[in-house]
Amino acid sequence: MRSDNDIYGWLQTTTGIVAVLLLVQFLTGVLLAFYYVPSVDHAYTTVSFIEKVVSSGSWLRSLHHYGSQWLSIFIFLHVIRLFLDRAYAANRIQWIVAILILGLVMAAGGTGYSLPWDARAFFSTRVAEGLMAGLPVAGGLARVWLLGGSEISPVTLSRFFALHVLVIPAVIGTVVVWRLFRAKLTEGIADLFGPRDAIAGSVVFLVLALWALKYPAPLGPPVAEAGADYLPRPGAQFLWLYQSLKYIPGGLGSVVGVVLPGIVLAVLVALPWLKRQRLIAGLLLGIGVVLVVIMTTASYLSDRRDPKTAQQLSRQTAQEEAWRRQPFQPATITLAAASTSGSTAGGPPEMYTKFCANCHGSQGQGAQQGPLRFPPLLDVSAKPHRSVDDIVSLLKDPTNYGLQPPMRSFSTKLTEEQMRQIAEWIVKLGQD
Amino acid sequence: MTVETSRRSFLKLLPLAAVFASIGSAAFRFLRPRISAATDAWLDVAPVSELAGPQPISRKIVAEQISGWAITTEEHNVFILPAKNNQVVSAICPHEGCEVAWEQNTNRFSCPCHESYFAADGSRISGPARRGLDSLPARVQDGKLQVQYISTEQATRA
Repeated sequence: MRSDNDIYGWLQTTTGIVAVLLLVQFLTGVLLAFYYVPSVDHAYTTVSFIEKVVSSGSWLRSLHHYGSQWLSIFIFLHVIRLFLDRAYAANRIQWIVAILILGLVMAAGGTGYSLPWDARAFFSTRVAEGLMAGLPVAGGLARVWLLGGSEISPVTLSRFFALHVLVIPAVIGTVVVWRLFRAKLTEGIADLFGPRDAIAGSVVFLVLALWALKYPAPLGPPVAEAGADYLPRPGAQFLWLYQSLKYIPGGLGSVVGVVLPGIVLAVLVALPWLKRQRLIAGLLLGIGVVLVVIMTTASYLSDRRDPKTAQQLSRQTAQEEAWRRQPFQPATITLAAASTSGSTAGGPPEMYTKFCANCHGSQGQGAQQGPLRFPPLLDVSAKPHRSVDDIVSLLKDPTNYGLQPPMRSFSTKLTEEQMRQIAEWIVKLGQD
Repeated sequence: MTVETSRRSFLKLLPLAAVFASIGSAAFRFLRPRISAATDAWLDVAPVSELAGPQPISRKIVAEQISGWAITTEEHNVFILPAKNNQVVSAICPHEGCEVAWEQNTNRFSCPCHESYFAADGSRISGPARRGLDSLPARVQDGKLQVQYISTEQATRA
């Protein structure tokens, strides 16, 4: 089956390239999971930490990011190579495995894009939501199943995470092991992955490694900080879909983006049992190649040609570079309080503990510091002019309420909302 | 399998070894633990004027630490020993790290986990702990007793 000494022999090494890239995705993915936290309040921080603080973190993440795009391209080329080899007739398992991996790699790319929870990820999640919602018949159901609720929420991120790092890799692993097992029974592992495969795979890895060294994976602003003019762009393997959606009205996008690719993959998987195999696969793959090439090119061109878009995109690139130079901002986490502290329900707000508790006591009981006696806040709401609104204004200007220093104004230290939290907690003191 | 073919199958894996080696060395640097330095902030414990009597006084301090991608704040129990010139000891049992409690009626600290006991001055009485309660660096500033928080592990290493 394998020709050894001509260029065609080298063209057959797509298996080796795909195998090496899959391996790279697994290894780098496992490493990223050592720091990444799939929660909406820590995902962005942990990805920033990987990018800015951890040694080799930026390189490993870039390998994973661009690796997924390269993998999509090479698995596509691999399928075309198998088609030219008529593998669907000669080696059914090889053909089916290749198609399955193509679908799974695209699914992994789609779910992985949401994980950094930057603006780019958020919009990608939005698009996934829209694609599901637009599905015929079961659109609404598909949408809430994907999101895990009626809106994009912390649950959604967990779902994408579980799919991306547990479900999809497990299925890919199963398919690969199945393939290796079949190969051992029939053609032999050595024929599946020969020296040329190792060389080709390693050369592609070397180029990817240098690429990743030069180009760090993108990380947009956090969702909350992205302006209304932010232009999100998908990964290179989805540009064809992104561009196609511009031309398709409304819910038809889901048909083009989800239903048709699903049907095409299903037909290709079933190809070994179909008649007119050459014609069907030739048509589907031919249309696929033309669509992907034209749409991807069109998306690059439209981003370049429209001056406003080009300007905004280059502004975003500049912002990302500026962000990269800023020092890492750690998150603040309060670990469990000491075990013997009788934590009462409805404890004081964090800012009370920080600014008020020193003088007024941790539970508003007041305190004596040397000659100074600080008044307790218990039952304060029973006094006149001590409603929530009053306490908020008092915190801003205590002299207005006849109070003496050391009570001072907190208008520069606390936000309106924090003062309100404190006030609402104080008026409840001593009521029970 | 002849020597020739086994050598060939070994050689064919050589390019792959380069892939593994580059990711492997990056993985080592990537996963290497980051030791955060002990914070040297002085934390208020109590006004000195409040500290009197023979009994240890229980207080809480909130210590901040940079750990990985987060600044963690954690509340710790400490005991002030007015009878011992306001020495401050950590409530963390030097055995396995549970928190000791002061028992007023027996006049000793007891650890709820493995029954280590400590005297009112923090010294070890009995049980599996090999030393007394760890004392924390303390000072008096503007009439307030202040400590630096040091974890048991760090105290053991020191």
